[in-house]
Amino acid sequence: MSAPSERSGSLVESKTGFDPRIIAFHGIVVLLLGVLTAGLAYQQLIKGAIHHEEERQQNERRVIVPGPRGNIFDRNGKVLVGNRPRFAVVLYLDELRPEFREEFIRVRNNYRKTSEGDMPTNAQLERIAHTSVVKRYMDQVNEFLGRSGTVDSSGLQRHLERQLLLPYTLVDDLKPEEFARLIEHLPVNSPLKVYTSNTRYYPYAGAAAHTLGYVGVNEGADDEEFPGEGLTTLKMKGSIGRDGIEKQFDSTLQGEAGYTILRVDPSGYKVNPPIEHRLPVQGKSLTTSLDIDLQQAAEDAIADQTGAAVALDVRTGEVLVMASLPGYDLNSFSPKLSQAAAADIEERKAWTNSALNGVYSPGSTFKLVVSMAALMGGAIRPEDTPADCEGFMMVGNRRFGCDNGLGHHGLLTLPEAISESCDIYFWTVGLRTGVGAIAAEARRFHLDRPTGIELPGETHRMLIPDPDWKQAKRSESWTPGDTANMSIGQGFVGETPLTMACFAASLARGEVWTKPTLIHEANRPEQHTEPIGLSESQREAILKGMEGCVTEGTGKLLTTLETLRVPGVRIAGKTGTAQIVRPQGKVDEAWFICFAPIENPEIALAVAVDGTVPGENFAGGRYALPVASAILKKYFEKKHAQVAAN
Amino acid sequence: MVLGLAVLVWLVAPVALKTLARASFFEMTAPVVAASSYVNDLQKFWALRLHSKDELIEAGRDMARINAKYSLSVQQTGELQAEVERLQELLKMPAIEGYRFEHARVAQRDFSAWWQRMVIRKGADYAIPVGAPVVYSGGVVGRISEVHAYTSVVQLTTDPGLRIAAVVDGDTRPISYQGGDNQVFGSPKGLIEFVSLDVYASASVPKRLATSGLGGVYPPGLTIGRIVHVESSADGLFKAGEVELDPRLTELTEVTVLVREGAL
Repeated sequence: MSAPSERSGSLVESKTGFDPRIIAFHGIVVLLLGVLTAGLAYQQLIKGAIHHEEERQQNERRVIVPGPRGNIFDRNGKVLVGNRPRFAVVLYLDELRPEFREEFIRVRNNYRKTSEGDMPTNAQLERIAHTSVVKRYMDQVNEFLGRSGTVDSSGLQRHLERQLLLPYTLVDDLKPEEFARLIEHLPVNSPLKVYTSNTRYYPYAGAAAHTLGYVGVNEGADDEEFPGEGLTTLKMKGSIGRDGIEKQFDSTLQGEAGYTILRVDPSGYKVNPPIEHRLPVQGKSLTTSLDIDLQQAAEDAIADQTGAAVALDVRTGEVLVMASLPGYDLNSFSPKLSQAAAADIEERKAWTNSALNGVYSPGSTFKLVVSMAALMGGAIRPEDTPADCEGFMMVGNRRFGCDNGLGHHGLLTLPEAISESCDIYFWTVGLRTGVGAIAAEARRFHLDRPTGIELPGETHRMLIPDPDWKQAKRSESWTPGDTANMSIGQGFVGETPLTMACFAASLARGEVWTKPTLIHEANRPEQHTEPIGLSESQREAILKGMEGCVTEGTGKLLTTLETLRVPGVRIAGKTGTAQIVRPQGKVDEAWFICFAPIENPEIALAVAVDGTVPGENFAGGRYALPVASAILKKYFEKKHAQVAAN
Repeated sequence: MVLGLAVLVWLVAPVALKTLARASFFEMTAPVVAASSYVNDLQKFWALRLHSKDELIEAGRDMARINAKYSLSVQQTGELQAEVERLQELLKMPAIEGYRFEHARVAQRDFSAWWQRMVIRKGADYAIPVGAPVVYSGGVVGRISEVHAYTSVVQLTTDPGLRIAAVVDGDTRPISYQGGDNQVFGSPKGLIEFVSLDVYASASVPKRLATSGLGGVYPPGLTIGRIVHVESSADGLFKAGEVELDPRLTELTEVTVLVREGAL
């Protein structure tokens, strides 16, 4: 019998021996492990960042929400443009995944039971299930609100494919009662939620519509400003200024967008609370120089006519009123301008801001420029009577009639001529002064260029013509008739209500230029530019003429008609009636410029109103002056009330 | 092992079975709750009997005064009601919906961080409907969330799951009130959202919050609480704030259920 120790000993020997095959096997294993470790190290250490980025891009989504725009105030702190809440009832589709799945199974089983023909594909079944579930919620909302809303199946599918993490809107722009009903009837944890966004709100509807401007939809904030570069990004639509102050100050008013970074599953459904979240912040607010009370007074006075009015603070150049009619209700742009509303604005030709872009012959208001050119050049003295108005005048072969009076003014001094707006006087003085001096004086007042106000699209078409211009643009020589026309603000001269308001403000300060601004600053320093350079007597003569205009001249309705009178205020004004060509024929453009009080001017304004009937005498003293009266009355009424309150 | 199996069975059980089990359990335990409430009432009754005759006479006198005041109010309400009906007739307005008042004793209070509710001793036997508003002399208590054979569960205004379309005193714009994160022994509070930016309130100058009547559940004008804090949200669209509720809410013994009954 062999001893067990011998067998055991042989086993031990075989285990401890150096079998080359075992050694080779171990070597291979070690090598393979080494390769594996190296591979893992390569993937983890070298390519780890890339994998991490890929994983992040696959599993995370970024949602960008625009911030509300800042408010726009008038100079007294009244809200001209604000944001109104816009309530919508929305469905968070990513919370409905289990319901979609259950519905999918139910629909599939139904088809299996009932369908004898072709079975819909899975994609089709999913689509049916999605629509069916959302429709159930829609029915629930309809029941609460008494509405009959429907679900757009293709829109829903698009939303599911592209914007799953964004709320799907079932009913937009809820009324307050509907909002209240949903608040009380929807369970707190329902996937149906009352969602709030905002839209522009205009408490004064159409007041200062062209100046304030409107907003349109944009695609949202720039992705690069947010963390999560490279992530699939869903952006909620924002708004962008399209016209007026909204456009000019868009970068100031624009809110700061917020963002959320979410973790999603492979199907794009949200799986966890947000990884990162930042709320949007409202944009900065803007205080304009407009006075909404004056603005409304101007617009009420223009009423259903076509016209414009601009009023400035003489001392600072701040624009108090910038009215242009016909206008439009800004609320019709919010949240979106309908095609019908756009067509209506188009039909009424209400898109244009006539105060800024309406170029008209300034008519007799331009006689003030001619007067100053003549006085400065020594062509006349205030007390001279250079012409005897008999109602007409021959310049070359052309007969010019004096339209501004009863036909025969006789011998007039400068103040009387301004007051009566005698064409014969100014033709004579204009011809004596010469086109060069008149044009130079007008340019000194910056009447040949845009004012540079903070609004987009100010016209460059204002024009102070001269012989060189006529030769260059029309290849024609300048004639004395052209000078005569220019002397009464007719012919080629073109100005906007804004440039004429600036001219009135400059004249009021005894300076040549006023830079208008739409931004209000409580302690804005007074503007001062180059003095006109008139002697005291020359300035007095012009002011006397302008005051005479509103007390006994062409604008006397302002002081004689009780409804137009501005009690206790001395006003310097000048009427104008220019002929403009319209599709229906030649019609009059009624002008009135003025400033007040004469002794210490505070407000200057220009009003232009279009005549509509060819041949009708649409005089500035009758049609433009009431608008100026309404603005002045409101201005001094407020001022007196403020003084009384203090 | 047994507990694990029971949990597993409960997890896989159909929803209908779970609902039935829950309802049955409530119905089975309801008599205990009601009985305990009755015992409690009896205990209070005997405690009151210990009062002296003088105290009872004094209380009776006070009660008589209050009764006289209420009699006058009832008379005035009757006159106002007649006037309202006359004006409705004159203006051809639709009649105001009326309510049946079901007064009920509170049988149990169940306050936790997750829910805030109470059980009242009236249920389907008094045709109490789910969703009916529940009020007391201080304003809104909540709304009926469950109705059982002889009891109902009231979801209180302190419950985070309850929302009311409310208005700030003197304003007509509806805002959202929701029960707050109320601790068991804390003072009851709620939260408001979608408050307009021109609404101001603070602890020193609080504002009354009342039902708007627009939501279709609560009649208008019922007090919910006092707004003691509001602040603007970052997006500048609205304000949100905190509402202090009446501490009596946690100690109520009797409430009234408003059951809608068509036009008055």
